[in-house]
Amino acid sequence: MTKRKTITRRDFLRGTVYTALGGTLGSTLGKEAKGEEKVKVVLIRDENAIDSRGQIDQRIIQKMLDQGVCEFLGEKNPVQAWEKLIKPSDVVGIKSNVWHYLPTPEGLENAIVKRVIDAGVPKKNIGIDDRGVLNNPIFKSSTALINVRPLRTHHWSGIGGCIKNYVMFVSVPWLYHSEACSPLGSIWNKPIVKGKTRLNILSLIRTQFYNRGAHHFDRRFVSEYKGLLIGNDPVALDAVGSRLLQLQRIAHFGEDRPLDNPPIHIFVADEKYKLGVSNLRRIEIVKLGWTEGTLL
Amino acid sequence: MRVCLLLFLTIWTVLVTTECPTLSAEKEGRQATMKKLLPLGVEDYRADKKDEFYNRDQSFRYMDGAAELYRAYAFKLLMVRKYVKRGHPSILVEFFDMGNSEDAFGIFSYQTEDEEVGVGQGSDYGGGLLRFWRGKYFANVYAEQDTPSMRNDVLKIGHVISEKVKRKGQKPSLIRFLPSEGLSERSIRYFHLHQVLNHHYFISHQNILHLGERTNGILATYPQQQTKEKNFLLLLQYPSKKLAETAFQSFVKAYMPDAIDSRAIKTENGKWASMKIYQQYLLIVFDASSEEKAGELIKATLRGLEGK
Repeated sequence: MTKRKTITRRDFLRGTVYTALGGTLGSTLGKEAKGEEKVKVVLIRDENAIDSRGQIDQRIIQKMLDQGVCEFLGEKNPVQAWEKLIKPSDVVGIKSNVWHYLPTPEGLENAIVKRVIDAGVPKKNIGIDDRGVLNNPIFKSSTALINVRPLRTHHWSGIGGCIKNYVMFVSVPWLYHSEACSPLGSIWNKPIVKGKTRLNILSLIRTQFYNRGAHHFDRRFVSEYKGLLIGNDPVALDAVGSRLLQLQRIAHFGEDRPLDNPPIHIFVADEKYKLGVSNLRRIEIVKLGWTEGTLL
Repeated sequence: MRVCLLLFLTIWTVLVTTECPTLSAEKEGRQATMKKLLPLGVEDYRADKKDEFYNRDQSFRYMDGAAELYRAYAFKLLMVRKYVKRGHPSILVEFFDMGNSEDAFGIFSYQTEDEEVGVGQGSDYGGGLLRFWRGKYFANVYAEQDTPSMRNDVLKIGHVISEKVKRKGQKPSLIRFLPSEGLSERSIRYFHLHQVLNHHYFISHQNILHLGERTNGILATYPQQQTKEKNFLLLLQYPSKKLAETAFQSFVKAYMPDAIDSRAIKTENGKWASMKIYQQYLLIVFDASSEEKAGELIKATLRGLEGK
C-alpha cells in the first residue's frame, strides 16, 4: 500500500483534498470517470414519508423500500426482487441501530421483515438487533445480513453510516476509534459478517447533518429528507451519504462547516480493506420520487 | 500470539469491569460528593431516584462514541439524574467531574454558539440544552422540548446546581497570554488533542502538531470588524522546549514547507499564516489579512509570554 499524503487545511483551500483522498467524498459528483465500471445506488424519496404530526408513515416506507429494491435489482415485483437476495433456508439478521436520538425507523425494520418473510424465511429465523448482536443466536448462526441504519454526523468517525453500523460485531468497539475510526472497514472481514451482507440501506428519512449537544445531537440540525439510499456497496452508500450531509450543512449554514473528523474510514474501507467504492465519480445514483431539495 | 491477546483482553476486561479497591474508593468518594451537589428536587421537579454513574471506561455504555469527546479531557466521573414533574416532559442532568477546572472550562468551550444565560462560570443555552461549568464540574441540563416554560425550568435547575458548587475554578492559565485587543472572549477554545482542535479549526487529520494529553492548547478568534473576517491565534504549550521544537518542525514540514525561512506564508485563500516558537510554546496565526497583521498578533502574544 502506498503511503497516504498528509492532508491539511491548505489542501481544502486548494481544492485538492479530494485528489489527495483518491477522489473520494468530494464535489466531483458530476464529472465522468472514463472506462471505469460504476457502482449503482438507488435514492428514493417521498414527501409524505413523514406526516404533519412528525410520524413516519409505515405504508409509504414500505412503498419506498419496494420501489427502491426493485429498481436496484431490475425487478418489477418486490417479492421477486427479495427472492434474489434471500433464500428460504437463510437465517437472516437485520442489523439495525437503536441510538436513542435517531434510531432506525421501526417502520423501515417492519418493511424489511415483511419482505424477508415474503421471500420464504420463517419468522423464527429472522432477528433484528444492534448492541446485542454478539449474543443473539440468530446473528451468531446467520447466513444473511441486512444492514440498515440512519445517516448522521458522528463526532469521532465523521459520519455514522453503513460501514460503522457493524462496529457492534466486535466486543471492544473503542479499539476501532483510532485515526478517526479508520479501521472500521476491517470489521467487515470478520467471520461473523464476512460475505453475508445481502443489502445495505441508509435511512435518509431524517438525517443529522451537524453535531452539537450532550450526545452530539441537536434537533435543530436534523433534516427531514424523507429518503432511502439502497445498494449492496456500503462504501458507496456512505460516500454518497457523506456528500449529502456536507451539502445539507452548506444549505443550512450558508457555508460548509467541517466535521469534527473527516470521514477517513470510508476512503480506508475502499483503499485498504477493498470493501467497496468511495470515489463519487464511480458511483451512479439512480434517483426516484420526490425531487425537491434533493441536493445530490 | 492469539492466546496472549486473549489473556490481555481478559485481564483488561476484569480490570475495567471490577475496578481495583483504590479506584473504587475514589469513585465512591466522587459519587458521594456529586450526589450532594445535585438537588433532590427543584420546585415541582423531583429526582426519579434512578441515578447512574459512569467513569471514563464505562462512559461508552452511556453515550457510545460521544464519550470520546469527554475522554479527550481529564474527565473522571459522570452522574446522570432525571427530574420528573407530573404532566411535563422530564429534564435530564448530566453532571461531569472533569478532574480540574481547566478541563471543565475546556469541555464547556467546545460549543458556545448560543446564548449566555448567566449560569455558573460560563453558560450556553439553545435548543432545550443548557451547558455550563463551575469549579471542576461541567453540566448538561436537557429538556425534551424547547418551550419558554421548559427553558425556565431548565435554567432554574441549572442555577440550583451551580450554586451548590461552592468553589469556583480557574480558567486555563494560557488565556492570560492572549492579546485582549479585538479578542472574542466567547470564542476561546481550550483543548489537548488535535481532534478537538480540528472541530474548531481543521488543520490536518493527522497530528502534525504532536498534540496529546500533556499539551495544552488555546484557539482564540479575533474578528475584524470592518471586513467581517476572522484572525485565528493558536497558542500551544508543550511539556518541554524539545517537544515544542519537534512539533514546530513537523508543522512547518506538513503545513508550510514553502515558508521555511520566513515562517510566514500566504495561503491559498489569500490570507496569511505565521508561526513562532518561544521556549515550550508555539504560536500560530491563521487567516490574517496581511503578513504584518499576522506578525502583530504574534508579537503581542509574545509580549504576554515574555512578561509571565
